[in-house]
Order: sequence, then C-alpha cells, then structure tokens
Amino acid sequence: MAITPLSSPFFEKREVNSTPQNEEYAIFLKNISKTFPNGTVANQDVTLGILRGEVHAILGENGAGKTTLMRIISGILKPDKGEIFIDGKPVKIRDPRDASRLGIGMVHQHFTLIPEFTVRENIALVLATSPWLDLKKVDEKIAAVSKDMGLEIDPESKIESLPVGKRQLVEILRLLCQDVRILILDEPTSVLTPIEVDSFFKMIMNLKSSGKTVVLITHKMKEALQISDRITVLRGGRVIRTIPTSDANEALLASLVVEGMLPAPTLVRGTPGDIILKVESLKVKDDRGRIAVDGLNLTVRSGEIVGIAGVAGNGQKELVEAITGLRKVESGAVKLLSQDITNKPTRFIIEKGISYIPEDRMHRGVVLTMGVHENLALKCIEKPPMSKSKIIDRRSMVKNAESLISKFSIKASDPCTSVENLSGGNIQKLIVARELSNGGLVLIAEQPTAGLDIKASEAVHQKLVELRSMGVGILLVSSDLDEIMKLSDRICVIFGGKIVGEFMPENLDVERLSRLMLGAD
Amino acid sequence: MIEFLALTGLAAATLRVAAPLLLASLGETIAERGGMLNLGLQGAMLVGAFSGFMGAYFAGSLWIGLISAIIGGILTTLLFGILVINLDLDQVVSGLAINLLASGLTLYFTRVLFTGGVSPYLGELFGPMPIPFLCNMPVLGEVLFTQTGFVYLGLVSVPLIYVLLTKTSFGLRLRSIGEDPVIASYLGINVVKMRYAALLAEGILAGLAGGLLTISMFNTFDPRIVAARGFVAVSIVILGRWNPWGALAGSLLFGFTEALSLRIGIIFPELSGASINQLFALLPYLVALVALVVGGRGVRGPASLGKRIGRER
Repeated sequence: MAITPLSSPFFEKREVNSTPQNEEYAIFLKNISKTFPNGTVANQDVTLGILRGEVHAILGENGAGKTTLMRIISGILKPDKGEIFIDGKPVKIRDPRDASRLGIGMVHQHFTLIPEFTVRENIALVLATSPWLDLKKVDEKIAAVSKDMGLEIDPESKIESLPVGKRQLVEILRLLCQDVRILILDEPTSVLTPIEVDSFFKMIMNLKSSGKTVVLITHKMKEALQISDRITVLRGGRVIRTIPTSDANEALLASLVVEGMLPAPTLVRGTPGDIILKVESLKVKDDRGRIAVDGLNLTVRSGEIVGIAGVAGNGQKELVEAITGLRKVESGAVKLLSQDITNKPTRFIIEKGISYIPEDRMHRGVVLTMGVHENLALKCIEKPPMSKSKIIDRRSMVKNAESLISKFSIKASDPCTSVENLSGGNIQKLIVARELSNGGLVLIAEQPTAGLDIKASEAVHQKLVELRSMGVGILLVSSDLDEIMKLSDRICVIFGGKIVGEFMPENLDVERLSRLMLGAD
Repeated sequence: MIEFLALTGLAAATLRVAAPLLLASLGETIAERGGMLNLGLQGAMLVGAFSGFMGAYFAGSLWIGLISAIIGGILTTLLFGILVINLDLDQVVSGLAINLLASGLTLYFTRVLFTGGVSPYLGELFGPMPIPFLCNMPVLGEVLFTQTGFVYLGLVSVPLIYVLLTKTSFGLRLRSIGEDPVIASYLGINVVKMRYAALLAEGILAGLAGGLLTISMFNTFDPRIVAARGFVAVSIVILGRWNPWGALAGSLLFGFTEALSLRIGIIFPELSGASINQLFALLPYLVALVALVVGGRGVRGPASLGKRIGRER
C-alpha cells in the first residue's frame, strides 16, 4: 500500500529553539518520570515538545508509556517528577478540570461517554456550569461546532445506539464544544474500518487547518507516516527520537520502535482437510434478548484458520459463546465432526475437543488469584495425572506447569505464583499453553493478541500456525484486520449476525472487505 | 355510608403509613442514582427514630426531636459514605454492618437509659396539620389535607427531587456517577463530593422517615420500631425504577396494603380475630416479594450501582 504523506512542507522548514519557554510549543514536557505503585516504570525522563498547530504522532509499542504520558498531560495521572509547560508557561495539572481549563482534551481508547445518556446529555455534562441545565444553550453549541466541523450528529440519540465510529466523533465533538485547543487522541483508529479511517484522517486535517494542535497516540507506523507532521518514538518509557515525518520511513521507524526487531517470518498457508466444525443457520440472542446471531452458517476445516472479520458488536461475541456452550442457542445447530453439540454443557463441549482463548482473558481465561500451576491444570484437573481418584496431585500439577512454562516461555517467578503477578502477555501465553496442551480439535481464538506487544503477539501467532500444521481447525475472531489478513486461510465477514462475504487470501479486496464490514455492500 | 367512610379513612391511612416509606425511598433513590446501594437505610431510619425520640424526650421539644432525627440519619449515612467512598469497601456488606451497628446501639441505649429497657411515651406528638380551607373539601379534605407535616413534606419532595435529578446540573452529574464513576472522574466531576452530597440528602430523608415513627406515629421508641421499612423502601426504589414518581407509586402501594392489614377488621368485622390480623400484617412483605418478582424483572438500574470504584487508576 502506498503511503501519501498529508503533512505540509511548512513544518519541515520550521526551526524552533527547543526551550520549554518557547511559546511556539503548545505543550512542552520536561524530564517527566512516572513509576506506578507496582513498580512498573511507565515514563523515564521524558522531554518532548509539541508545536502549536501540528499533528504530532506518539509512536511506540504497547507498554511503551504513550498512554501514561498523555494521561499525565490530561490530568488523570500525576507525574513523579518533571515539569509541564503550556504555551511556554509552567503549569500544574492536578485533575482533568485543570487540563480542560488549559484547553487540553483527550479522547481515551475506552470512550468516556455515558452509554445510557444521549449525545446532548453527555455534552451537557462537561459544559454545565450553572445549577440549572440549559439544554438549549448546549444544543446551540453542538449545532455551531457540528456545522464548523461538518459533522452530522443527532443530539437526541442515545450513545449506546450509535456505532463505535460515531461515538468517537461524539467524543471529539464534546472536546470541541469545550473549546479545547489541544486534542490528544489515544489509538483512535483501532475501532475504525479502513474506510472510516480515511474520513477520520480528513477530519484531523480539518482540525489542524482550524488551528488545533493534535497529538495522536498510535502503534501503527503507517498511520503516523500518513497523517503527522512530526513523530516521537517512545520505547520502554523513554523518548527514543523526535523526527519530522518527511525524514521518516517505515524501516527507520521500525528500528526505533523495537530494539533488535527481526523481520517477521513469512507465514505459510495451511492445507485444509475435512470439515470439523459446522455452524448451521444459528440464531442466538444477546444479553438484552435481541437477535445477535441471525441464521449464521460457517464451517471450519481441520488444518485451517478461518478469520472472522467485523466491526465489534455484530454478533462475534454471541457466536463464540454459542459454540463454546456459554450462551443458549435459539435455533440452528453447532456440529463438531458428526456430533451435535448445540446447547450442550460447556464441560461436555470442552471434552469433545473445543478449546477457547477468550477475549476477556483476565476474567474468563484465568482465575487471577490462583497459582500458575492451578490455572494450567484447570481444564484437566479431574483426570489423571492431575488427580488420582478425585484427589488432586499437587506434584503433577507443578510438574505440568514447569514443562509448559519452559515450552511456551512464560515468564513467571515460580510455577506456583499467583497469576495476577504476571504481565498481560504472559497471562495470554499461559492461556494459550493450557488450551493447546489439551489436544483439542478446534480452537476458538477471540482477539488473541489484543493488548499484547509486538513480540508477544508474534509468539501467539507462531503458536496458532504451529497448531494449524498439526491439523487443528482454528476460528480466529479479531477486530484487528491486519491480524486476520496475516493468518487466515479463509476470511469471513460478519455483519448484523450474518456472514455477508467470504474471501480467500489470494483474491482479497480490502476495499470491498471494509464495505462489507460496514454492511454497505 | 359507613363503608364509604371506612374507605376514606383507609385512603387517609394509606398516606399516613406510606410517609416513612416515601421519605426513605426518595432518599435511597438519590443515593442509588449516584451508584450507591445503601442497605444501611434501615439502620439510618432506626437511628433517626432513636435520636428523634431522645431529642424530643430529653429536651421536651418535638422540634428538637425533629432536628436530632435528621442529625442521626445524616451521621448514619455519612458513616456509610466513609466505608464505601473513602475506604472503597463492599456496599452491601457495609450497609448490613451499619444495620447491625444501629440495632445494637439503639438496643443498648434503650436498656441503659430506661428502667426495664422500655421507653416511656412522649407527652405530645406531631399530629395532623389540617390545611386551612382545603381540609374542608369533601373526601380529599380528609385524605390529602388533614395529614401530618411529614406527609406533606414527602409529597412535596417528589416533584422537587424529580426536578433535581433531571433538570439540574447536579442531577446530571450525579446520574453520570451512577452510570460510571471512573468516566465521571475523567470528565472532571468530583465523585467523592457528589456522592457525599447524595448521602447527605439521603441522611436527612432517612432521619425524617425514622423520626416520624417515634415523634409523629407511635410516640415511643422500641428497637423493633422500624420493622423492615428500610428494606421495603429499598425494594420500592427498584420497583419505582429509580424515579421519584415511581417511589411515590411504590410507597402508596405498600402504604395501602399496610393500612388495609391494619383496618381489615374494621371494614370486614366478620374477619377480625387475632390470628387473621397477624396473617394480614404479613401482607406488605408478601406484596413486596410479589411486586419485586413481577415488577423488578429486566429492570436496569444505574450501571455502577453497588459496585466498588476499584483501586486502579
């Protein structure tokens, strides 16, 4: 894919003296350090200037300290050390109100809209200064700002009824209604389809041309190259370098983002065998009793990775829960080989050979307060060698843990340590280890690399590919389109609880794929 | 004609016995809209009843009793606030602990202060305050306008609290905290301050609800005086869907069943008899159970209700 930089030549020539007092800097951070109570060093001696009116990308892996740094600017976290200058003047930002008074606003990765409220109420929440709610004034403000930005949002609509892309616009609209001058956007495109990303970037350029300063947190190099004027790379909580985007390219950025990054090995495609999992006109309801999976058909063959691409909330969760027996099937069937497993108990489904890597790994994948050895034995605890005549054999649990820890290179201080002491990446490795060591026929992998850094993601991907070559059928549900395209032998697009399109990797049309994801085809 | 008079009396009694439920459930509505499930409401009412009685008895003034009832209610809900806001403890456990503490302390002081552990009677109590002119209307005059101040206060509070919750910035902020306190704090809302404000309001209302039992209704104190009114009020909030008007409707429903159970012998003399009366005394609780099963289904309250805020952030 060709990358066209949208940045203007203006910034290339712009030379600034880099002292914090320089008023050309909308924000200047000086020697910011932040260590969390659990000992994680999030930011170390970060010095960074954001010029007024620029789009500045903060690039780095998960865990590089990007979000922490931005939360310090927006008053949610307090730095241990360091100074913040706004427009050349030193400031103290004690809470989000201070930040908004200084004209700083942040769109968090997890939105800060109240889903039960309407757009108007959500905006009134931050505008309201008088004791009486003046909704008319709020409406006028919304109308004025929407008109400026060319946004079309009905203030009456409830947030929970809006698609994710629209919610993000409401977040931005709300910041603009507060007359924010500096917008910090945390991984804004992670919830958007490629088409939405394009129009989103156009809006960022609009913001820039109306004089706003935009800070964009991202882990995607392409994005940083495409939209920003300057890029700052963070790694391990430190600033590695700040460069004008015109001087940057993907190879350079990659070498800055990851130390000693090896090029990802090219993946071989699988050789699918017979159908092992068959989903037939499945209907499933969501928590509110609405049909979420609506007559869905799907097959997975042995030795095949089937990717389910789709915008979150189109029935993926309900589909997975129906297959794994966690949710009642209204009609239709799920068949494993020739056996009907529809509405069977989860225990039965696990024993028949369905493994599951859940999206919510902290709550559904592990028991956080239990030991690594116990978590690794959870699914085979009642069978020898883990237990003999229903009495648990602790020694074989520990032995099992030790062998899986070394085989899957899980970083744990000892095999019996509580899982809550492990990092997110290692918890995911633990779950993968447990699910893969069970010798299943089918693996359901739901967002298996969400929140993991590049190395941990790569390790998980390798394991999935390894498993496929052993003949396991894998259903990969992910909102990360890159992941789907990288691994899948077949891509199914889910929209409104139905599979609306299917692609083989060799004839993939990304444009059409994203239209299908939005239900526009 | 006698039957008609009995029905008018029943309607008036409905309002009278609904008043403590109404005041308490209005208070709980405010707290729950802010995300706090305060089962300690029962305890706050008991402390209100106790301190109201003590104030009135020892100072010899019903007005001092009224003020001390309010103070007692506030202190109890503020204690709940310390437990769940500052210490971030489990709301249900904290509420139940407060109830145990309240019943233990009131029992103790009753035993210590009064010989035989039985409170004396107050010489006077807050009786009905007929509203001039209006009280002369047929039927309505007796039902609506010849009531105690507590009844008027409860009825007037309904629209006021409705306006507070839906038409003011305070209400919007409070509701946002009830949905998600972490998001609210990201938006610069002072969650701690707002929640204490909500508990202050609940404390006043719960103190009044308890106080009216001793200084307006029974003119004596008994450690069992609140019965289960606090818990009934909590279920009224759910039935009323966290809306003051709903709380009014729920309170009237329970008030009606309670009044009915008290008067069943008057309306149907052939039904009177000790065992029947005892059975009818169960009616409000039975109605509470049935109403919750029927009316409480699929109802979604404030999303953060009963949840701890959590230490991370």
